Amino acid sequence: MALQPVGAFTEEKVHALSSAFREPDWLTSFRLQSLKDFRSLPLEISPLYTKYTGISNFDPTRFSVDAPTEKVDLRSHYEGYLTGKETNVILQGNSTTIHVDLDETLSKSGLEVLNIHEAIAKEEDLLRSLFQDKLVKSSGEKYAAFNNAFFNAGTFIHVPRGVELKKHPLRKLLLIKNPGTSVVEQTIIYVEESSSLNFLEELYTSASDAPYLVSSVVEVRAHASSHVDASSLQLMDDRATYLVNKEVAAANDSHVNITSILLGSQITRSRLNFDLNGRGANTEGFEVFFCDGSQRFDLESNLLHNSPDTTAALHARGVLKQESQSIFKGMIKIAHNAKNSSSYLAHHAMLLDKGARSDGIPGLDIETNEVKATHSASVAQVDEEQVFYLMARGLSPDEAKKMIVIGFFEPVLSRIPVEMAREGAKFIIEGKWYGERRRLIDRESLMAITGEAPVEVKHGSDVFERHYKYRA
Amino acid sequence: MATLEIKDLHAQVEGREILKGVNLAIKQGEVHALMGPNGSGKSTLAYTLLGHPKYKVTSGDILIDGQSIVAFPPDKRAKSGLFLAFQYPVTVPGVTMFSFLRAAYNSVHTDEKNQPPTLFEFRDAMNEKMKLLGVDESFMNRYLNEGFSGGEKKRAEILQLALLKPKFAVLDETDSGLDIDALKTVAEGVSKIAGADLGVLIITHYQRILKYIKPTYVHVLYDGKITASGGEDLSLKLEKEGYGWLKEQTGVVT
Ligand SMILES: Nc1ncnc2c1ncn2[C@@H]1O[C@H](COP(=O)(O)OP(=O)(O)OP(=O)(O)O)[C@@H](O)[C@H]1O
Ligand SMILES: [Mg+2]
Repeated sequence: MALQPVGAFTEEKVHALSSAFREPDWLTSFRLQSLKDFRSLPLEISPLYTKYTGISNFDPTRFSVDAPTEKVDLRSHYEGYLTGKETNVILQGNSTTIHVDLDETLSKSGLEVLNIHEAIAKEEDLLRSLFQDKLVKSSGEKYAAFNNAFFNAGTFIHVPRGVELKKHPLRKLLLIKNPGTSVVEQTIIYVEESSSLNFLEELYTSASDAPYLVSSVVEVRAHASSHVDASSLQLMDDRATYLVNKEVAAANDSHVNITSILLGSQITRSRLNFDLNGRGANTEGFEVFFCDGSQRFDLESNLLHNSPDTTAALHARGVLKQESQSIFKGMIKIAHNAKNSSSYLAHHAMLLDKGARSDGIPGLDIETNEVKATHSASVAQVDEEQVFYLMARGLSPDEAKKMIVIGFFEPVLSRIPVEMAREGAKFIIEGKWYGERRRLIDRESLMAITGEAPVEVKHGSDVFERHYKYRA
Repeated sequence: MATLEIKDLHAQVEGREILKGVNLAIKQGEVHALMGPNGSGKSTLAYTLLGHPKYKVTSGDILIDGQSIVAFPPDKRAKSGLFLAFQYPVTVPGVTMFSFLRAAYNSVHTDEKNQPPTLFEFRDAMNEKMKLLGVDESFMNRYLNEGFSGGEKKRAEILQLALLKPKFAVLDETDSGLDIDALKTVAEGVSKIAGADLGVLIITHYQRILKYIKPTYVHVLYDGKITASGGEDLSLKLEKEGYGWLKEQTGVVT
């Protein structure tokens, strides 16, 4: 097969991908429409943000996208990454799903975990309806459109009605190892009424000999009275450009927690939207980033209240070293019918070096009375008086700053309700401080390390009690 | 017997000279009280001793056992056996007392072979000192000084002093802002720790704490210089008469 020119984002490329995966026509049309959106959309749609586009700007034509042709061997690809004791894992090597392993409880529960193209073959009607009413819309954001047009990997997770899997974490490990193509993947999580799921994805690089692109779309459909935890730990190396679009649709009385721990990549461009569509829906988001070198993080998160009695909170918190930069954009939108809703949006950043830079632009758009909405933002240098105090007790300047940084993350980390995400984040953040690229280890080893000191876990405390900026 | 010597110390903060030639020598086992009006430079002396980056030594010297420490960063001074109980302890949100104390204990007590104490050794020491000072265990899970009452902050400083076992401790108004009971607890705590192995420089405005911790010497710092020194009776005179009489006098007694 002749090599396609790098970065040829053309109709031909779409057709080539679509036929390689033997996709139905409706999906080819969907991809083609997405390609149009990708071409026509600017980097930022909102005029509020156009002046901040530089931070995650990159040349997409440097990257190619193809259907995976490589045969990925589980053992050699994951060497050193698996202990062999993993259960309930999805292993994805570059763009290829290579292994889905469910223990007895999960495999008998009715839970379905399928490669996206298997899912399309097996449950075409359901998948078709999900694509027709796509949560991550191509018209909404340029790189959402890119992913919808060119995805070459994906996972479909379906929890049938009344199946409770909250206590059985399902892990997905995406391991990048010299990918021959960009990894453009979709994770579609479909949790039916009164069900629950605890999903945790980890993104790692084991080897990379050239810059590469990883684009992820994550969609969470939480039906009435369901409970979904979806967390991700992004620990790829600094050759990665990482684009991620997460969208949550929360129905009546559903509860969704989304956690993003972002440490790796050269560029991360993240979009996270919560659509609180059903009465009584409740969502909480955690975005934690720690960057150094010349890393660039561009984050946008929106809390969209479309029904009465909805509650949403989003906590973004980051620490920046050296020449790294971040931008956080966030908006609370409360529609006119979303009476009696509460919303909280916070972005706090700490700069450790003079060359680091962070901006936060939170906003409110409220169309009704009888709501509580609060936003707060701050960007601060590390406090020299704190450093002196700790040094006066014998801590080296580096240890003192590490302690202040860990403490800065603590209020957000300690609220994360998913144990593995919470403790894992502490573990890998500390590792990054020491310049180590750590990865998540099994629960017992993790607790042995991080559980040594008593930790007062403070989640459940009500953020709305403490901060008021706006009350109508 | 170790000695802390302060020799003709001049120090500036933000370009302004605050210490104008301080001389003082403290031996392990001695208690020196330092009094003086507001703004005379007492806290400046304390910060300068610990090497706060804003306080610059322009001339003079600070020595422990004859070795100058003025070029040392604060952590190295702490490891050389110097401790400061802060007048206004700093809050560090998100850092538990436990993890902070463990880190401090490890840094100060790491031996020559670079072996830090084990978790077990630390817990033992901590439990002992908490008992000695009547500190509740729940303290350990709280964030460092966050939301602490005035009394709790001062008590936390004394707990650190007990745990870190320095050779010399500067207590900057450890008695201020305390009610009578809290003062008693804190002062008794200090007197339990003080002994032949500790030299104390206690900065205070009040005679009352000196009832619990008997000073060997009392000094007055006035406009950046020690202008009077004496025994305990000097503190009584100051409490009765204030500092006015010192204006007329200059460069008195040692
Ligand atoms: N960080 C600083 N920045 C600017 N000025 C300072 C600083 N620290 C001390 N000073 C100044 O130095 C002088 C001495 O202050 P210092 O705090 O040492 O006094 P003090 O004797 O401890 O007073 P008090 O009894 O009120 O505690 C004051 O004029 C004060 O304003
Ligand atoms: Mg003072």
